Amino acid sequence: MAPQAEEGGSRGRPQRTHGPMGVAEGPLGTPSAPALLEAHGVEVEIGGTAILRGADLLVRSGELVAIVGPNGAGKSTLVRAVSGLQRPSGGDVRWSGCPLGDLRGRELARLRAFVPQRMPVPAGISVREAVTIGRSSQLRPLSRLTGADRDGVDAAMDRAGVGRFAARALTTLSGGELQRVQVAIGLAQEAPLLIADEPTSQLDLGATIGVATLLRELVDGGLTALVVVHDLALAAAVADRAVIVAEGRTVATGIPAEVLSAERLAQTWGADARLTEHDGRTALHVAWLGSKGVRAP
Amino acid sequence: MLRRSLVLAALLVALVAATVCSLAFGAVKLPFSEVVDILFGNGGSEAQRQIVETLRLPRTVEALVVGAALSVAGAVLQGALGNPLASPDVIGVTGGAGFGAILIIILLPGSIALLPLAALAFGLLAAALVFVFAWSGRNRGSTGKVILAGIAMLSLFTAGTTGLLAAFPERAPSAIFFIAGGLTSSGWEEIETIWPYFAVGFVFALFLIRPLDRLALGDDVAASLGSRPQLIRLGAGIAAALLAAASAAIAGLLGFLGLVVPHVVRMAGGTSSNTYVIPVSAIGGAALLAAGDTLARTLRAPIEMPVGPFMVVLGVPLFLWLLRKAV
Repeated sequence: MAPQAEEGGSRGRPQRTHGPMGVAEGPLGTPSAPALLEAHGVEVEIGGTAILRGADLLVRSGELVAIVGPNGAGKSTLVRAVSGLQRPSGGDVRWSGCPLGDLRGRELARLRAFVPQRMPVPAGISVREAVTIGRSSQLRPLSRLTGADRDGVDAAMDRAGVGRFAARALTTLSGGELQRVQVAIGLAQEAPLLIADEPTSQLDLGATIGVATLLRELVDGGLTALVVVHDLALAAAVADRAVIVAEGRTVATGIPAEVLSAERLAQTWGADARLTEHDGRTALHVAWLGSKGVRAP
Repeated sequence: MLRRSLVLAALLVALVAATVCSLAFGAVKLPFSEVVDILFGNGGSEAQRQIVETLRLPRTVEALVVGAALSVAGAVLQGALGNPLASPDVIGVTGGAGFGAILIIILLPGSIALLPLAALAFGLLAAALVFVFAWSGRNRGSTGKVILAGIAMLSLFTAGTTGLLAAFPERAPSAIFFIAGGLTSSGWEEIETIWPYFAVGFVFALFLIRPLDRLALGDDVAASLGSRPQLIRLGAGIAAALLAAASAAIAGLLGFLGLVVPHVVRMAGGTSSNTYVIPVSAIGGAALLAAGDTLARTLRAPIEMPVGPFMVVLGVPLFLWLLRKAV
């Protein structure tokens, strides 16, 4: 029996759409918004090893949900399982009320786009071609691109901010540019929910800010996003809700500032740390060397 | 886009030129205008019409179809396995087809008419065994498993072929033409028997173009877009097996085409989009084999040589030149 996830205060009260940590600003992502994705007791076994042991997840329309947790907790496996990329061995996953098992590939492609941590970078494919491939989920097997499809590709590139380098080959892009292209490929699917697995894990500070801002702006523009994030300060800055996963289970969910308490950081990450927010800036203050604290001068 | 269009136009011109040359040149040389008149049914002597219609036309059609089929098989496999070294060899087809053909040449020389069917049957059998092993157990359908199972099957059937040749050395010379790969002027009979396999393979490949483009962005992106990566690889394997086994039934072992033509198209066209690479490889492969076959039967006419080595002579310099310029 999976333990019940602890609620960190988001249920039953309005959530912010964007803004300083813990400050409610708008009605999006409220319990009244329809649930795009509901998952209960999800279990996944890989090679005989239990990776997920009963994880829960709820994503409502219009919110940005961050999944956080220690290494090996099962965060990526959870988003892969609910996305239909990894077959769950137990539990219940529903997309807009429809069981995951009843959805065919093309139907699922209209409900969610999955952006992997880092896709292969094939030689001889331009940014526009890659985003056009993203659009192909909308097409029948032998049908040609219509004007509306080309407009859809242009719109996805504009929203992700990749239009200015549309003609460049994927192999010439920086990590940040490539991550934006991956988001553009997902946007070309025109699915209401974008799922991104650690989209900033290999990026420098500037590129991380760029991708985080992009995801936040997309959600403020009406998209819903589920993002696996390692950086807790970043999760606190951009997410409406955080879902904490540890040892294959969901252990808490709620407004990041509330669920990422010092007690939770100690319990889940074994860290003496404190999350703070001031003037729109978030920071994780960590006692890196434990309670002994300070290095000798 | 301009570069791609130019490459396509050049290959179409080469295709037409190779086709006309294939019909015009041989032991008896016919003027191009005469060939065109005969094709439209209003020219040439009875003997000339006979040469074109019953000998050269079927052989040219075979060259075009086999050239296109092997190139498409290579392009589809390279896309599906994400491996530039993939060719019909890696799913065991070539090894199986070779074994089937040598089996007939050596053990049943009186039933040589069975050779194309034996090559086809053993080529498909080898591919089927590769699929069974690659799609069972853990991590089924992964690129590594497909390639390793294919190499194992290739080795097994090649060992069988070598064993047969060693056991019956006196019959080995008649197997050389098949192993080297070559077309014969044997009329329409072979292609009339084998064409359904080509047709199914080409239709499969056509439906795989878009899924293979998705697969180029990785299994996760392909799955996000609604495809099933393992199913794409299986479909690509089946298409390539049909095309390569049918090709081996008609023209022996011409592995080189399937490996090189898609690379030449990618490098010359500057793209690896399968929407471009697969159809253009078909045109390039058809042109290359028709040209190679024409050279093979005219250079030392009336002696006909196997086309395999000639195609390599034509293709390798171009390939190496493009490889030098490739990033």
